[in-house]
Amino acid sequence: MLKGTIFGGTVAIGLPMLDAMLPRGATAQTGAGPKRIVFWFTANGTRQDIWSPAASMDLSTHSLHAALAPFAQKLIFLDGVDQSVAYDSIGDGHQTGMACLLTNAEILPGSLFCEGSCDAGNAQYVGWGGGQSVDQYLADEIQKDVVTKFKSLELGVQVRNASVWSRMSYSGPDKPVPPREDPNQNFNDFFSDLDSDPFALQLIRRRRKSVLDAVMEDHAAFQQRLGYEDKQKLDKHLQSIRDLEGRLDVSTSFGEACGKPELALPGGSYEQNDMYPVTGKAQMDMLVMALACDLTRVASLQWSRSVSGVRFNWVPQTLGEGHHGLSHYGDGDANALADLLEINKWYSEQFAYLLGLMDGVQEGDNTLLDNTVVVWVNELGKGNTHTRRDIPFMLAGSCGGYFNTGQHIDFGGEPHGKLLVSLAHAMDKPVDTFGAPQYSQGPLSGLT
Amino acid sequence: MPQGIKYVCLSSALALAACTGSIGSRSDLRGDDVVNDTIAKSLCVVDTPIRRLTRFEYNNTVRDLLGDTTKPADALPPEEEVAGFNNQAGALTSSDLLIEQYMKIAEAVSARAIEDLQTLLPCDPVLDGEDACALAFIETFGKRAFRRPLSPSEATRFKALFDWAVTDANLGRFEDGIQLVIEAALQSPSFLYRAEQGDETPVEGDIVPFTSWEMATKLSYMLWNSMPDAELFAAAEADELRTQDQIAAQAARMLEDDKAGDVIRNFHTQWLLLTHLDSVTKDNGVYPAFRESLRPLWKEEIERFIEHVILEGDGSLQTLLTANYSFMNEDLSSFYGEDVLSPVSGPEFQRVELDPSRRAGLLSTAGLMAMHANSNQSSPVFRGKFVREQLMCNTLPPPPNDLVIEPPELDPTKTTKEQFEEIGSNPACSGCHTLMNPIGFIFEHYDGIGQWRDQQNGKDVDATGDVVQTDDIDGTYDGAVELAQALAESSQVQECVSSQWFRFAYNRTVTQEDSCSLEQLNQVFASSGFNIKALLIELTQTNAFLYRRAVEPNSDETGGEQ
Repeated sequence: MLKGTIFGGTVAIGLPMLDAMLPRGATAQTGAGPKRIVFWFTANGTRQDIWSPAASMDLSTHSLHAALAPFAQKLIFLDGVDQSVAYDSIGDGHQTGMACLLTNAEILPGSLFCEGSCDAGNAQYVGWGGGQSVDQYLADEIQKDVVTKFKSLELGVQVRNASVWSRMSYSGPDKPVPPREDPNQNFNDFFSDLDSDPFALQLIRRRRKSVLDAVMEDHAAFQQRLGYEDKQKLDKHLQSIRDLEGRLDVSTSFGEACGKPELALPGGSYEQNDMYPVTGKAQMDMLVMALACDLTRVASLQWSRSVSGVRFNWVPQTLGEGHHGLSHYGDGDANALADLLEINKWYSEQFAYLLGLMDGVQEGDNTLLDNTVVVWVNELGKGNTHTRRDIPFMLAGSCGGYFNTGQHIDFGGEPHGKLLVSLAHAMDKPVDTFGAPQYSQGPLSGLT
Repeated sequence: MPQGIKYVCLSSALALAACTGSIGSRSDLRGDDVVNDTIAKSLCVVDTPIRRLTRFEYNNTVRDLLGDTTKPADALPPEEEVAGFNNQAGALTSSDLLIEQYMKIAEAVSARAIEDLQTLLPCDPVLDGEDACALAFIETFGKRAFRRPLSPSEATRFKALFDWAVTDANLGRFEDGIQLVIEAALQSPSFLYRAEQGDETPVEGDIVPFTSWEMATKLSYMLWNSMPDAELFAAAEADELRTQDQIAAQAARMLEDDKAGDVIRNFHTQWLLLTHLDSVTKDNGVYPAFRESLRPLWKEEIERFIEHVILEGDGSLQTLLTANYSFMNEDLSSFYGEDVLSPVSGPEFQRVELDPSRRAGLLSTAGLMAMHANSNQSSPVFRGKFVREQLMCNTLPPPPNDLVIEPPELDPTKTTKEQFEEIGSNPACSGCHTLMNPIGFIFEHYDGIGQWRDQQNGKDVDATGDVVQTDDIDGTYDGAVELAQALAESSQVQECVSSQWFRFAYNRTVTQEDSCSLEQLNQVFASSGFNIKALLIELTQTNAFLYRRAVEPNSDETGGEQ
């Protein structure tokens, strides 16, 4: 079995293919690995009343975040950061909360999403999100320096239907990016060429290139008869084929921490409600391995979707309804509050599991977690008011020492566009604004 | 974190305005009451955007093209869903992930296809020669895959790919070449997209009809969600899909095929939101009779009933909404208890007769009632909302932003209706909830899992409700059987059903230009006694289906690469 360390210093030599297996443009370096960014989405707001940590950052007795106690010094809790742009945008609370979250852009007008009947004359339509999301922006930028096997990886756990309520990543205005939801499929897509015979891999690439070349010629002929809008659609399709072909030569780089993960895959049942935890764990395991193998530098894990109706049958419950229903009870309803505590605590435990995996991958003197910033996002602050103010944002990992972790900051109502600017800066892309400029004048202060 | 401010409700005036404003919108679609027998061709013709195949259509198509029944497209990301349906042309986008998976499933499908090379080939590579046989395959397979004859340059391109494969040092076999041809065809836009661009000769102005090849494709994807069969292809080859009669005759034939049943199931699954049934859970403390194994039975009952009524029964909307028979197996029949007058035994679904005082058609099925309920009680709000939106095509705005919504807690001294009446009487909420709750009250004889009840919490169930702000069924109803009769005779419901089919069948929302096509549909629907099959055939006879506006040639300044 091929072994080696990509970011730790030595690379095992012995196969002629090895150089080709490195991400294009990457050099085997000593010391720290590359910077990565991961977005982690959970839905329907949180228990805002108990979300914040104590001033000491001691989380060991925190009612939601006790599982995160070992990582307290690698976290930043952000209070008082609002999705201000969502209040300018058309669309309902969940729609705007979701579509503006990583774009800081208003939802496009359109005739796609509405409630109930969608016949003409209905004024309640909206379209897709109106800007490129920060993860996709960073993925594009990073690919100018280094070509990884995947430009970015969007993973989802039971996201289900595709709509403006369920998409947070956009490759551009009106261009939603679907997450990969089937862990079995992901395992093959990410890791099937690990351990494979290099000559077999080379044959697969040659074949694919020939086929895709023919398909692209077909596109050119097909497009000649299309009207403008149809042609736009096909252009995007063609661009994706070109991108796919451009990545055919990039293969997995083997490192000490990089190998085929051993997983308990949920088989065909990954969409069943009660497989949510098993599916999520498989996705987290693969996400961390994908980062350790440097398959991508930009990733996300989206748990369900806005208006998530997941039933958390595996946590102690009082009412036992779906998450969204529970999130709509009044602030005085003790039963609903108890269930929401358990749900959000469970998510925090999953976050701790991910951070634990990442912190266990050594990259030189750092860990994978240290070289990454994991950003916990939510479309709402709190479910029953649909408020998009005081979103429970949390950062984990310092992104290669960029962020000053181990603190809790109350920003008192800063727009979240500034957080997106901060994240771009952390990834060495010094943008002035991101999305709506009036809500993203520079980075948030105090994070670095 | 600070607590959010708690707004309990909006002013009633604002809520009312929001609701009444949207209720009236449907009438905007109506033209004159007079329907012209011959609609001028310049009317009701719109652009038809290209549309990529849905996963369901892709699966059906490779089944019919190559005999591949593995449902490979299940690996693709889900369709963008708008207007209640997942096949809407304007919403279906592409993404890097989609394209990557198209490649992978094309590889898998083509690898399976060449396992049985003999059935695939129209020739013998040994007897006829490999080159000649490859060309023959490209011509016959290409025509079926692209649903039209290949252009000479397309055939040349596929042959070049074949030649590359058979001369590659590591491939080299005849079947490798065939596999690559299939692999490329399945990733071609001519396979993945439907782009019926119309004939070159306009019938008037910029209005063009479709070629017979295009019409074959339009018919087969509308009525079968799959590619044309041999008979449609033969009709296309003979250019016999030009007249309305030719098209109607094919449509009638196609509706007799099992593939039409799959489409009818697909439509109703989406229209009636039946996928929600897969995740229904109930509080067993309140409903000990609930178990997860009921979900597929509930769903199968609804699907069997619908398919029977439309394809084997009288086909009428009235029957769908009011029949007092259904299809159950022993398990489900005992769940319904004494509502079933002719209980059945065994695991097979069979026809059962129902107590006509308790059950009437689709809306009183246990599945729909359980789906539109909370885990521990029935929900007049959900049930009323469902009837308003799905059957009456009303639009109800979502609850306002920043509103704390508190469903009533279970009160063992009151009926569900009494509790919801208290909430609904709040002036801030009543604007919209007077539209939903009273309709929901009419279903109160069905508890949260759809079982009949005469009493709740020691009190008699009151299943009366005042239905208001409808086109033609305002009034007080007692129980779902009464309401079902009214809904079945309501032109608002009838027109709603035809507009739902319009959206599903034409893959787009209804626009102002469609008013005369809709009028035509509604008129024929009515004169057929609201027969769904007649509606489906008429969907092939409207200007919206028969014509399109000619494509404005796209010049190079749009930046495409050739």
